Amino acid sequence: MARVKRAVNAHKKRRTILEGASGYRGQRSRLYRKAKEQMLHSMQYAYRDRRDKKGDFRQLWITRINAAARANGMTYNRLIQGLRLAGIEVDRKILADLAVNDATTFASLVEAARAALPATEAAA
Amino acid sequence: MRTYNPKPGEIERHWHVIDASDVVLGRLATHAATLLRGKHKPVFAPHVDTGDFVIIINAGKVALTGNKRQTKVAYRHSGYPGGLKQVGYDELLTKRPERAVELAVKGMLPHNRLGRQLIRKLKVYPGAEHPHAAQQPVPFEIKQIAQ
Repeated sequence: MARVKRAVNAHKKRRTILEGASGYRGQRSRLYRKAKEQMLHSMQYAYRDRRDKKGDFRQLWITRINAAARANGMTYNRLIQGLRLAGIEVDRKILADLAVNDATTFASLVEAARAALPATEAAA
Repeated sequence: MRTYNPKPGEIERHWHVIDASDVVLGRLATHAATLLRGKHKPVFAPHVDTGDFVIIINAGKVALTGNKRQTKVAYRHSGYPGGLKQVGYDELLTKRPERAVELAVKGMLPHNRLGRQLIRKLKVYPGAEHPHAAQQPVPFEIKQIAQ
Protein backbone atom coordinates (compact mmCIF):
# COMPACT_ATOMS: atom_id res chain seq x y z
CA MET A 1 0.00 0.00 0.00
CA ALA A 2 1.17 3.48 -0.89
CA ARG A 3 2.63 5.47 1.91
CA VAL A 4 0.82 8.73 2.80
CA LYS A 5 2.89 11.43 4.42
CA ARG A 6 0.79 13.70 6.61
CA ALA A 7 2.71 16.91 6.10
CA VAL A 8 1.56 17.28 2.47
CA ASN A 9 -2.11 17.45 3.37
CA ALA A 10 -1.50 19.51 6.48
CA HIS A 11 0.39 22.12 4.46
CA LYS A 12 -2.26 22.13 1.77
CA LYS A 13 -5.03 22.68 4.30
CA ARG A 14 -3.21 25.62 5.88
CA ARG A 15 -2.33 27.12 2.51
CA THR A 16 -5.98 27.02 1.37
CA ILE A 17 -7.16 28.83 4.51
CA LEU A 18 -4.42 31.47 4.35
CA GLU A 19 -5.04 32.11 0.65
CA GLY A 20 -8.74 32.53 1.36
CA ALA A 21 -7.96 34.99 4.14
CA SER A 22 -5.63 37.12 2.05
CA GLY A 23 -6.42 40.81 2.30
CA TYR A 24 -7.87 40.47 5.79
CA ARG A 25 -6.78 42.90 8.45
CA GLY A 26 -3.76 42.25 10.70
CA GLN A 27 -3.22 38.77 12.12
CA ARG A 28 -6.30 37.44 10.37
CA SER A 29 -4.45 37.29 7.06
CA ARG A 30 -1.16 36.01 8.53
CA LEU A 31 -1.71 33.53 11.37
CA TYR A 32 -3.40 30.21 10.61
CA ARG A 33 -5.46 30.03 13.77
CA LYS A 34 -6.86 33.57 13.43
CA ALA A 35 -7.39 33.15 9.69
CA LYS A 36 -9.29 29.87 10.16
CA GLU A 37 -11.65 31.39 12.71
CA GLN A 38 -12.27 34.37 10.46
CA MET A 39 -12.85 32.17 7.39
CA LEU A 40 -15.52 30.21 9.25
CA HIS A 41 -17.37 33.46 9.88
CA SER A 42 -16.68 34.91 6.44
CA MET A 43 -18.22 31.92 4.69
CA GLN A 44 -21.31 32.25 6.87
CA TYR A 45 -21.62 35.95 6.06
CA ALA A 46 -21.17 35.29 2.34
CA TYR A 47 -23.87 32.59 2.40
CA ARG A 48 -26.28 34.82 4.30
CA ASP A 49 -25.56 37.90 2.19
CA ARG A 50 -26.08 36.07 -1.12
CA ARG A 51 -29.65 35.62 0.08
CA ASP A 52 -29.92 39.14 1.50
CA LYS A 53 -28.74 40.54 -1.84
CA LYS A 54 -32.16 39.88 -3.42
CA GLY A 55 -33.87 42.04 -0.80
CA ASP A 56 -31.17 44.72 -0.90
CA PHE A 57 -31.67 45.22 -4.62
CA ARG A 58 -35.45 45.26 -4.33
CA GLN A 59 -35.07 47.98 -1.70
CA LEU A 60 -32.84 50.03 -4.02
CA TRP A 61 -35.26 49.65 -6.95
CA ILE A 62 -38.14 50.85 -4.77
CA THR A 63 -36.13 53.92 -3.67
CA ARG A 64 -35.38 54.77 -7.30
CA ILE A 65 -38.96 54.19 -8.47
CA ASN A 66 -40.21 56.40 -5.64
CA ALA A 67 -37.82 59.19 -6.65
CA ALA A 68 -38.96 59.04 -10.27
CA ALA A 69 -42.64 58.73 -9.31
CA ARG A 70 -42.46 61.78 -7.06
CA ALA A 71 -40.87 63.73 -9.92
CA ASN A 72 -44.06 62.85 -11.83
CA GLY A 73 -46.27 63.99 -8.96
CA MET A 74 -47.16 60.62 -7.47
CA THR A 75 -45.88 58.50 -4.61
CA TYR A 76 -44.51 54.96 -5.00
CA ASN A 77 -47.40 53.55 -3.00
CA ARG A 78 -50.07 54.97 -5.32
CA LEU A 79 -48.07 54.12 -8.44
CA ILE A 80 -47.95 50.43 -7.54
CA GLN A 81 -51.62 50.45 -6.60
CA GLY A 82 -52.52 52.09 -9.92
CA LEU A 83 -50.38 49.70 -11.97
CA ARG A 84 -52.02 46.73 -10.30
CA LEU A 85 -55.52 48.12 -10.99
CA ALA A 86 -54.52 48.82 -14.59
CA GLY A 87 -53.33 45.24 -14.95
CA ILE A 88 -49.80 46.33 -15.90
CA GLU A 89 -47.36 43.66 -14.84
CA VAL A 90 -44.00 45.44 -14.92
CA ASP A 91 -41.80 44.39 -12.03
CA ARG A 92 -39.75 46.72 -9.86
CA LYS A 93 -36.44 45.83 -11.48
CA ILE A 94 -37.67 46.95 -14.90
CA LEU A 95 -39.49 49.98 -13.48
CA ALA A 96 -36.27 51.14 -11.81
CA ASP A 97 -34.33 50.67 -15.04
CA LEU A 98 -36.95 52.67 -16.97
CA ALA A 99 -36.75 55.41 -14.32
CA VAL A 100 -33.01 55.74 -14.93
CA ASN A 101 -32.72 55.14 -18.68
CA ASP A 102 -36.13 55.93 -20.22
CA ALA A 103 -37.96 58.70 -18.38
CA THR A 104 -40.67 59.12 -21.04
CA THR A 105 -41.79 55.49 -20.87
CA PHE A 106 -41.81 55.73 -17.08
CA ALA A 107 -43.94 58.88 -17.25
CA SER A 108 -46.47 57.12 -19.50
CA LEU A 109 -46.67 54.26 -16.99
CA VAL A 110 -47.33 56.82 -14.23
CA GLU A 111 -50.13 58.30 -16.35
CA ALA A 112 -51.61 54.84 -16.92
CA ALA A 113 -51.50 54.19 -13.18
CA ARG A 114 -53.09 57.55 -12.44
CA ALA A 115 -55.92 56.83 -14.88
CA ALA A 116 -56.60 53.45 -13.24
CA LEU A 117 -56.84 54.83 -9.71
CA PRO A 118 -60.30 55.59 -8.26
CA ALA A 119 -61.02 59.32 -8.46
CA THR A 120 -60.81 59.99 -4.72
CA GLU A 121 -57.32 58.49 -4.46
CA ALA A 122 -55.96 59.94 -7.71
CA ALA A 123 -56.30 63.50 -6.38
CA ALA A 124 -52.98 65.30 -6.84
CA MET B 1 -29.83 43.00 -17.00
CA ARG B 2 -27.66 44.82 -14.52
CA THR B 3 -28.99 47.40 -12.11
CA TYR B 4 -27.61 50.84 -12.91
CA ASN B 5 -24.56 51.79 -10.86
CA PRO B 6 -23.56 55.47 -11.03
CA LYS B 7 -19.93 56.33 -11.77
CA PRO B 8 -18.43 59.29 -9.91
CA GLY B 9 -18.10 61.42 -13.04
CA GLU B 10 -21.62 61.04 -14.41
CA ILE B 11 -23.63 62.47 -11.52
CA GLU B 12 -25.26 65.81 -12.30
CA ARG B 13 -25.20 68.14 -9.32
CA HIS B 14 -27.61 71.01 -9.08
CA TRP B 15 -27.80 73.81 -6.54
CA HIS B 16 -30.93 74.52 -4.49
CA VAL B 17 -31.72 77.50 -2.29
CA ILE B 18 -34.13 76.94 0.58
CA ASP B 19 -35.60 79.90 2.43
CA ALA B 20 -35.85 78.83 6.06
CA SER B 21 -38.11 81.69 7.18
CA ASP B 22 -40.83 80.32 9.48
CA VAL B 23 -40.11 76.72 8.44
CA VAL B 24 -40.02 74.21 11.29
CA LEU B 25 -36.41 73.10 11.85
CA GLY B 26 -36.94 69.34 11.49
CA ARG B 27 -39.14 69.66 8.41
CA LEU B 28 -36.52 71.87 6.81
CA ALA B 29 -33.81 69.36 7.65
CA THR B 30 -35.62 66.36 6.11
CA HIS B 31 -35.88 68.15 2.76
CA ALA B 32 -32.26 69.29 2.90
CA ALA B 33 -31.10 65.78 3.80
CA THR B 34 -33.10 64.21 0.93
CA LEU B 35 -31.52 66.61 -1.57
CA LEU B 36 -28.00 66.14 -0.16
CA ARG B 37 -28.28 62.34 -0.37
CA GLY B 38 -29.84 62.37 -3.82
CA LYS B 39 -32.89 60.33 -2.82
CA HIS B 40 -35.00 62.52 -5.10
CA LYS B 41 -33.15 61.23 -8.18
CA PRO B 42 -33.77 57.94 -10.00
CA VAL B 43 -30.00 57.38 -10.13
CA PHE B 44 -29.76 57.21 -6.31
CA ALA B 45 -27.28 54.68 -4.92
CA PRO B 46 -26.62 54.17 -1.20
CA HIS B 47 -22.84 53.90 -1.53
CA VAL B 48 -22.21 56.93 -3.75
CA ASP B 49 -22.81 60.63 -3.23
CA THR B 50 -25.54 61.25 -5.82
CA GLY B 51 -26.91 64.37 -4.18
CA ASP B 52 -27.13 68.06 -4.90
CA PHE B 53 -25.77 71.17 -3.21
CA VAL B 54 -28.15 72.89 -0.79
CA ILE B 55 -27.99 76.53 0.31
CA ILE B 56 -30.17 77.48 3.26
CA ILE B 57 -30.79 81.18 3.76
CA ASN B 58 -32.54 82.98 6.64
CA ALA B 59 -31.44 80.27 9.06
CA GLY B 60 -31.97 82.81 11.87
CA LYS B 61 -35.73 82.85 11.16
CA VAL B 62 -36.22 79.09 11.49
CA ALA B 63 -39.16 78.02 13.66
CA LEU B 64 -39.26 75.62 16.60
CA THR B 65 -42.56 74.15 17.81
CA GLY B 66 -43.80 73.92 21.38
CA ASN B 67 -41.47 75.30 24.03
CA LYS B 68 -38.33 73.85 22.46
CA ARG B 69 -36.80 77.28 22.09
CA GLN B 70 -36.62 77.42 25.90
CA THR B 71 -36.01 73.74 26.73
CA LYS B 72 -34.00 72.18 23.86
CA VAL B 73 -30.25 72.09 24.54
CA ALA B 74 -27.33 71.38 22.21
CA TYR B 75 -24.46 69.44 23.83
CA ARG B 76 -20.85 69.01 22.83
CA HIS B 77 -17.84 67.53 24.63
CA SER B 78 -14.29 68.79 24.51
CA GLY B 79 -12.81 65.37 25.36
CA TYR B 80 -11.39 66.51 28.70
CA PRO B 81 -12.94 65.44 32.05
CA GLY B 82 -15.83 67.76 32.85
CA GLY B 83 -15.65 69.08 29.31
CA LEU B 84 -19.37 68.85 28.53
CA LYS B 85 -20.53 72.17 27.12
CA GLN B 86 -24.19 72.99 26.63
CA VAL B 87 -26.04 75.80 24.99
CA GLY B 88 -29.80 76.35 24.85
CA TYR B 89 -31.49 76.75 21.48
CA ASP B 90 -32.67 80.27 22.36
CA GLU B 91 -29.05 81.36 22.64
CA LEU B 92 -27.86 79.17 19.77
CA LEU B 93 -30.47 80.55 17.36
CA THR B 94 -29.53 84.15 18.18
CA LYS B 95 -25.75 83.67 18.16
CA ARG B 96 -25.13 80.92 15.58
CA PRO B 97 -28.38 79.95 13.81
CA GLU B 98 -26.43 78.22 11.02
CA ARG B 99 -25.06 75.77 13.61
CA ALA B 100 -28.58 74.80 14.72
CA VAL B 101 -29.60 74.00 11.13
CA GLU B 102 -26.37 72.11 10.42
CA LEU B 103 -26.85 69.97 13.53
CA ALA B 104 -30.40 69.09 12.53
CA VAL B 105 -29.41 68.09 8.98
CA LYS B 106 -26.30 66.21 10.11
CA GLY B 107 -28.42 64.05 12.39
CA MET B 108 -30.54 62.99 9.40
CA LEU B 109 -27.61 61.94 7.19
CA PRO B 110 -25.83 58.58 7.49
CA HIS B 111 -23.36 58.60 10.39
CA ASN B 112 -20.38 57.36 8.40
CA ARG B 113 -17.66 58.55 6.02
CA LEU B 114 -20.18 59.17 3.24
CA GLY B 115 -22.37 61.21 5.59
CA ARG B 116 -19.43 63.43 6.54
CA GLN B 117 -18.77 63.95 2.83
CA LEU B 118 -22.44 64.78 2.15
CA ILE B 119 -22.68 67.45 4.86
CA ARG B 120 -19.98 69.45 3.09
CA LYS B 121 -22.45 70.22 0.29
CA LEU B 122 -24.70 72.06 2.74
CA LYS B 123 -24.19 75.81 2.99
CA VAL B 124 -26.15 77.63 5.68
CA TYR B 125 -26.38 81.41 6.08
CA PRO B 126 -28.15 83.30 8.90
CA GLY B 127 -29.35 86.12 6.65
CA ALA B 128 -30.95 86.41 3.21
CA GLU B 129 -27.57 86.74 1.45
CA HIS B 130 -25.42 83.95 0.08
CA PRO B 131 -22.21 84.07 -1.97
CA HIS B 132 -23.16 81.28 -4.41
CA ALA B 133 -24.86 83.33 -7.14
CA ALA B 134 -22.30 82.03 -9.67
CA GLN B 135 -23.65 78.48 -9.23
CA GLN B 136 -27.10 79.69 -10.33
CA PRO B 137 -29.02 77.95 -7.55
CA VAL B 138 -32.71 77.22 -8.08
CA PRO B 139 -35.20 78.08 -5.31
CA PHE B 140 -36.61 74.94 -3.72
CA GLU B 141 -40.21 75.08 -2.55
CA ILE B 142 -41.17 72.93 0.39
CA LYS B 143 -44.30 71.09 -0.67
CA GLN B 144 -45.72 67.67 -0.09
CA ILE B 145 -47.20 65.32 -2.67
CA ALA B 146 -50.70 64.44 -1.55
CA GLN B 147 -51.34 60.76 -1.03
